[in-house]
Amino acid sequence: MSFRKRLLAGEFVVLAEMDTPKGVDISDLINNARRIKGSVDAVVVPDMDKDVMRISALGGGVLMQQQGLEAIIRVCFRDRNRVALQGEILSAHVLGIQNLIVVPGEDVSFGDHIETKAVNDLDEIGLLKAIQSLEDGIDMAGFELKGAPSFTVGCTVAPYTDEEEMKREIAFAEKKIAAGAEFLIAPPVYDVAWFAKFVEGARTLGVPIIPTVFLLKSVGIARYISINEPSAHLPEDLVTRIRKSSDRTGECVKIAGETIRSLKGLSQGVQIDALGWEHLIPAILEQAEV
Amino acid sequence: MITAERKPMEEIMGYVEPCQRILLVGCNECVTVCAAGGRKEVGLLSSALQMAFMKSGKVLQVKELTLERQCDPEYVEELVREIDGVDAVLSMACGCGVQEIARRFRDKPVFPAVNTSFMGASERQGVWAERCQGCGNCVLGLTGGICPIARCSKRLLNGPCGGSTGGKCEISPDVDCAWHLIWERMKALGMEKSYEQVMPARDWRTSRDGGPRKIVREDLAL
Repeated sequence: MSFRKRLLAGEFVVLAEMDTPKGVDISDLINNARRIKGSVDAVVVPDMDKDVMRISALGGGVLMQQQGLEAIIRVCFRDRNRVALQGEILSAHVLGIQNLIVVPGEDVSFGDHIETKAVNDLDEIGLLKAIQSLEDGIDMAGFELKGAPSFTVGCTVAPYTDEEEMKREIAFAEKKIAAGAEFLIAPPVYDVAWFAKFVEGARTLGVPIIPTVFLLKSVGIARYISINEPSAHLPEDLVTRIRKSSDRTGECVKIAGETIRSLKGLSQGVQIDALGWEHLIPAILEQAEV
Repeated sequence: MITAERKPMEEIMGYVEPCQRILLVGCNECVTVCAAGGRKEVGLLSSALQMAFMKSGKVLQVKELTLERQCDPEYVEELVREIDGVDAVLSMACGCGVQEIARRFRDKPVFPAVNTSFMGASERQGVWAERCQGCGNCVLGLTGGICPIARCSKRLLNGPCGGSTGGKCEISPDVDCAWHLIWERMKALGMEKSYEQVMPARDWRTSRDGGPRKIVREDLAL
């Protein structure tokens, strides 16, 4: 069953985020894709995540489809103007991509081409509305298309440090939904009770919410997040638990699995971000009993 | 105001190195306020250049002059009396002033001594911050008087990105998230409802993307 059908049927979806390589050696990407085939409903391919130049989301998405995995590609407005974005979106449709996630993208200062010029012609709302318009057969300049694309379109929710920021994000999500977003990808969850508050606040939005589950990978990563990302709400207990474990990788897998299990009644799926360790996704899902 | 910062000495010296006599011209407007190219800075740069060249045995003659406004032909005309006999003009005005001198005196090389930075305001003594990008279609009336085009790193029009943490932008903890400021301001004004208003994709033709801009006021033109 397709990602869209599962969403509409209210079923729990499992997505895996998989980044494309920087270069044309796609062997790791393909091997990881083969490992998770059958375990996940779709693969989410980032669009130059952190503004690091690499194979594009569209290229990665097509590779996933060739492996028999459904692809969801992210589209970001940082690097392309409305002309290039619309062209890419039409290309995505004819190449078999059925799902898009509109994202703002990180600032270019995070990337590996820091001398570049960010475009930011559109913002999330502008891009969502552009997709909506293309689906209606009209481009942003008002010209009629020869054949209109169709997609399942999602957007992201930014991390929120406190309830005030959460309220603001929900208000913003409302705008994105009005502009055509059909599902929301929420930030990584480390504290399920904190996420439950968001779900409660976002109940009126009326679209599926899919939180991210991040494979911590090491005590160092967990410590870094707990110190530097207050919006992550990563409990200290979690850092201690990984540190005290004799099998830290196994513990991280267990934590990710437990988180997914706790989210089952709360969200309509998860997006697993294994940071290149996609081979561990089947083990995470086994822990999660999905 | 337009803000600027003086260029590195090495770069300025590179421009005037072939010259024996230069005219160093300051501006009494924005660059005076931001302490980059007013009368005081003209004096300082003049002395610094002469001393630096003197170290290698070269005597550089520098005529100093600060105009009321270097971007205005009426004031630039004052240079007519001073420009003969100099090899080049070194301007401490913003890019507008440099170009106005270049336009008026076609046979005289003009070099910039400052880097023109942005349109901004003074946050406190010695600190200026960007406030306006001159996009040509002001949205401040919709955003609580805080500009998302000049102050959001991504020029977002409808809300913050995922990079805002605790009211600070992802590019630096020293940079406020513009949308956090807008949200806070709207709350303070009891205008949270305005936040729900959707700003459509922008027509950038009024900005620099439409090519170099010009304002023509028929009622004022002679």
